[in-house]
Amino acid sequence: MKRQAFGRDRGLTLRILATGGLLGLLYVVFGVVLISYLNVGIVPIILILGALAFFQYYTSDKLALKASGAKIVSEQEAPELHAMVERLAAMADLPKPKVAVIDSDVPNAFATGRNPKNAAVAVTTGLWRRLEPREVEGVLAHELSHVVNRDVLIMTLAGFFAMVAGLLARWALYSGMFGGGRSRDNGPPVFLIVLAVSIVTYFLSYILIRTISRYREYAADRGAALLTGAPEDLMSALQKISSGIATIPQRDLREVQALNAFFIVPTNWKSSFGELFLTHPPMEKRLAALAEIAREMGRPVH
Amino acid sequence: MGLTDVLFGRKKLKEAKGERLFAISTARVTLEVELGLKPARRAAVVFKPLSSGDFVRVENETQELLDVAARETMSKVSRTEDEFGFNWIVIEDDDFEDLVATVHLVASELQARGFGQQLLAAVFRFDGAEHPVYFIYGFKRGAFWPFVPTGEEKGRDNAKELELKAKLEHELPIEQDLTRWLALFDAPV
Repeated sequence: MKRQAFGRDRGLTLRILATGGLLGLLYVVFGVVLISYLNVGIVPIILILGALAFFQYYTSDKLALKASGAKIVSEQEAPELHAMVERLAAMADLPKPKVAVIDSDVPNAFATGRNPKNAAVAVTTGLWRRLEPREVEGVLAHELSHVVNRDVLIMTLAGFFAMVAGLLARWALYSGMFGGGRSRDNGPPVFLIVLAVSIVTYFLSYILIRTISRYREYAADRGAALLTGAPEDLMSALQKISSGIATIPQRDLREVQALNAFFIVPTNWKSSFGELFLTHPPMEKRLAALAEIAREMGRPVH
Repeated sequence: MGLTDVLFGRKKLKEAKGERLFAISTARVTLEVELGLKPARRAAVVFKPLSSGDFVRVENETQELLDVAARETMSKVSRTEDEFGFNWIVIEDDDFEDLVATVHLVASELQARGFGQQLLAAVFRFDGAEHPVYFIYGFKRGAFWPFVPTGEEKGRDNAKELELKAKLEHELPIEQDLTRWLALFDAPV
């Protein structure tokens, strides 16, 4: 008798595949257009940016910890937190990640690191204080699932060409403004084509990347439910976190905005543009997906 | 971790590997003869229960499992829950071979009931040194590792643990990756 996988959610798998495919296609078209117009001029730019992205990916654990002001804590400083992380990591068959604490009253948490061996999880003091231990466990399991699913790698890969496009758009704009327009065979000036293509790529990839980011959140929620065996703990944690975040003044939150993609609940979670531009799915949808997993777990084993 | 796990997110936990549990029976001789460590008469299996909607069924199945274990062996079997929400099935038996057999039975009964993915570890205790020595079997890893708590705040005697690893490497499947040596400070054995 074997228990079936919970929350298999074929729809989510297909959507990840479709979005990833679209993003790949977009980048290929972007690359082909650029190379045909800029000839080899684009190669050094891609190499330099590639090195930059790799550096960012390689040092992601240290960068994110630094940017968030997280401090790595020893086993003696935070014994309960360590014990919790250690057990969950063992359940997930992961090496124990570094454990860090952010001195902030905003209840939140994030995970980072290029691979499971170099991973770190960080929680804010507010999270630890305001949530029940079971709920903290749910949040930690969500973060460890990001590590399992290699989300830093996925998001770095997904974001790379968007970065190239963003930079090229800026470059094309400046060279158009200051360098004047040299046109090729009486066609429109090169800078204008590069600018248009880059802007379109940037805009489309932005939406696609955010879509992927939201799908990864669903996947991490599912992973947390598997690890703790208790989706309802994560559900109540998410509700507490989101209500806590909504009540805290916006001024305090600006500093942490750059990290949003990695947080369990983004700090600017209310967006007037709707879901398309958000890194995280809306709370109701996450709760509904978790409730579905809880129902699946309750079903008898066949 | 497979490629599909990375692309689409992991959809199930690793299944338990219980078959190497019996290696502790032979290692026990070395522990006793060479290191003067005697097995305690208690051992435990720790797992994360599913706290799902169908709580009663899970509860009944665990109780049924305890009954099966008690009926088929002469061991005493009981259950506790810890502060982390993990369940401990504590087994008592004077004979070490029977103790190991019952631990294995409990693990395979849990697997047969569909809780294989929820199994975390089995814990065996040995006494005779300065501090109690635990051998923890990780079901995800299919390997043992030593755990020697010093009794002070979350301290563990790493030197002793490494010595035990070196001594027993040939007869016990020892986890080679030291970052996986999970500590279980509050094991009820």
